[in-house]
Amino acid sequence: MTDRASFLAAIRSTPRGSDPGLLDRSVAPDAPTQLRDGEHRADRLQAEAESVSTVVHRVVATEVGATVVGVLVAAGAQRIALTEDLAPFADAVREAATTAGLSVVGYAEAASKRAQAGALDATVTGCLAAVAATGSIVTAASGAGRAGALIAPNHVCVVRDDQIVDGLHELFDGDVLAEAGSIFALQSGPSRSADIEKVLILGVHGPGNAHVVIVAPD
Amino acid sequence: MSATREDVGGTPLPPGWAQPAHQPDAFEISTTTFEQRATETMARPFARRAIANATDHAAALTTARFVGIDHDALRDKARQIRAHAIANLPDYLDQWIDAAEAHGTIVHYAADESEARRIVAQICRDEAVTRVVKSKSMASEEVSLNSALEAIGIDIYETDLGEFVVQAMGDRPGHVIAPILHRTKDEVHALFSTMAGRELPNEAEALTAFARDRLRHAFLTADAGISGGNFLIAETGEVLLVTNEGNGRLTTALPKIHIALVGIEKIVPRRRDLAVLLPLLTGHGTGQQITTYVTMVAGPRREQEPDGPERMHVVLLDAGRSALLGGEFEEALHCIRCGACQNVCPVYRQVGGHAYGWVYGGPIGAVLTPLFRGQVEGGELAHATTLCGACDDVCPVKIPLHDLLLGLRRRRDEEGCVPRSEQLAFALWGQVWSRPLLYRASTAVARGSLRVIARDGVLSAKAPLLRRWTAGRDLVVGRRRS
Ligand code: SF4
Repeated sequence: MTDRASFLAAIRSTPRGSDPGLLDRSVAPDAPTQLRDGEHRADRLQAEAESVSTVVHRVVATEVGATVVGVLVAAGAQRIALTEDLAPFADAVREAATTAGLSVVGYAEAASKRAQAGALDATVTGCLAAVAATGSIVTAASGAGRAGALIAPNHVCVVRDDQIVDGLHELFDGDVLAEAGSIFALQSGPSRSADIEKVLILGVHGPGNAHVVIVAPD
Repeated sequence: MSATREDVGGTPLPPGWAQPAHQPDAFEISTTTFEQRATETMARPFARRAIANATDHAAALTTARFVGIDHDALRDKARQIRAHAIANLPDYLDQWIDAAEAHGTIVHYAADESEARRIVAQICRDEAVTRVVKSKSMASEEVSLNSALEAIGIDIYETDLGEFVVQAMGDRPGHVIAPILHRTKDEVHALFSTMAGRELPNEAEALTAFARDRLRHAFLTADAGISGGNFLIAETGEVLLVTNEGNGRLTTALPKIHIALVGIEKIVPRRRDLAVLLPLLTGHGTGQQITTYVTMVAGPRREQEPDGPERMHVVLLDAGRSALLGGEFEEALHCIRCGACQNVCPVYRQVGGHAYGWVYGGPIGAVLTPLFRGQVEGGELAHATTLCGACDDVCPVKIPLHDLLLGLRRRRDEEGCVPRSEQLAFALWGQVWSRPLLYRASTAVARGSLRVIARDGVLSAKAPLLRRWTAGRDLVVGRRRS
């Protein structure tokens, strides 16, 4: 069996190619993931998210519970799970959902048995961050779990305005990811495939119905 | 465990639904010639049309995606990131391994393909794995991983929709990111209807729903998830996975073991480099702004986390990569497998991925195959190109594919592997394959038409890019078939 030392030694024994050096930190990556000057983050997040078939809701904090449950009821969801990172809004969502007659569990409990997790109709998560320029929400293993955002056919994510970052380099450079745990993950719209004759189909393995609820600052 | 397997949600597939995986070294490249394989695809007009439509579509989306930004500057940065990472590969790998082990990832080292198969099979035995869900991995195609797992009795489920079709048909992926580009909806419909035991609606949506249901059952019952990796982040020890369907994430989330098989060249120094590479990978791959699911995995589930595997194994794969370092063909290791060069390649667009006979098609396939498989099997691919340069212009990390192909031709000639007549034949085929009209003319066996081709060949050979392609001119003159 090849071990670390011999594996790396074989690679080290090769001649060294030319090295243009590490990309300078000061060089802003002018990716298509930059915000234009003065552009409003929440507006851009909404536009980009909608462009990849996410349904976006703009609300104030007191409307979160009713908005989320409105989405769930409209989707016909019965069994829903809430993830840890929903925390500031979890009580409001749970209360509204229970009132609407939905069955609500914590995601950690649902995920303790795969079959239970697989039977969920919807999950409601918070997020670690949202990326305006790509319309993405960022979840962490420590919050929404690995599959919390995509195990069920419907996913609603609640984003606070102060969680929105401009673009990818702000996300990757900042310390927002420090607390992510064993994974962090971006999702940009519903699950999709165009494998069959390029026809776009939503909801392959993940949700076909993805909502983002953006909560305005107080 | 297996007693409760069947009633977890989703519908199990009947035993024997999948075709046996191909054996290592049973690649078409060992037994057939490029011409034979190409002719097969060209004989299926629908496949050719499907490939051309799909590649047009992808190329147009890519162009649209980068309007209004300095695309060229972005590609220069991407090139710099890749060149720097590869020039310092052992150091960055060392850093990656330290960081990965620090968060509990178990790292394995596969010097070649057979070692990769042995390692993954051994992990499966040690972990008592009998059912595996896989998300798309070209590295696993390279090493023929599935056959090694089937040999020890493991059920394998390819979960990417396209790969699922490929597995059920006993086919091979036809494109690096769109595996069933060469297949039609009708073919998928017939396949899935047989698998379902009833006539399914012949609509992409219903067919996808069928696959989702069957694969959901696999996800909920598998013991291990096997993935590839799009990047390895040296500073954090992470493995990055991108998928649009979400199957990559589920592969790392639901089974109790996650195994990732990743080529060593996938290394990038820092997370921040992804701000450059991800938009290019996606924009050139599918024309999207960002792939729907981007997942950065740093080891197994940690305490307090609600889901995730108990153990994460990463198998680092060399298999011919380190041999390219510091040499004439090192830049082939910069490839991020976006597939864009396939989409614009006039030869690929006519003959499809299978003609290349191994795992990778298009210009990058014509480069990697002889480098990884050797001259005897792969060498002829260096001639399966028109040297038009379209691949150079589209590559997001600016790999000089055209120069690499010329270098491979030169090497093949120097090694004396190739009869002159073969070169000549390839030169004509390159011309003909790249133009459907000419192809039709040639099959009409119209002597006059062939002269037109010949004239065309001469004319286009005067373009600067083609000037070095002297064989092409000789051919045209010498092969006025009569
Ligand atoms: S060679 Fe360039 S264009 Fe081709 S797949 Fe690799 S990165 Fe993409």
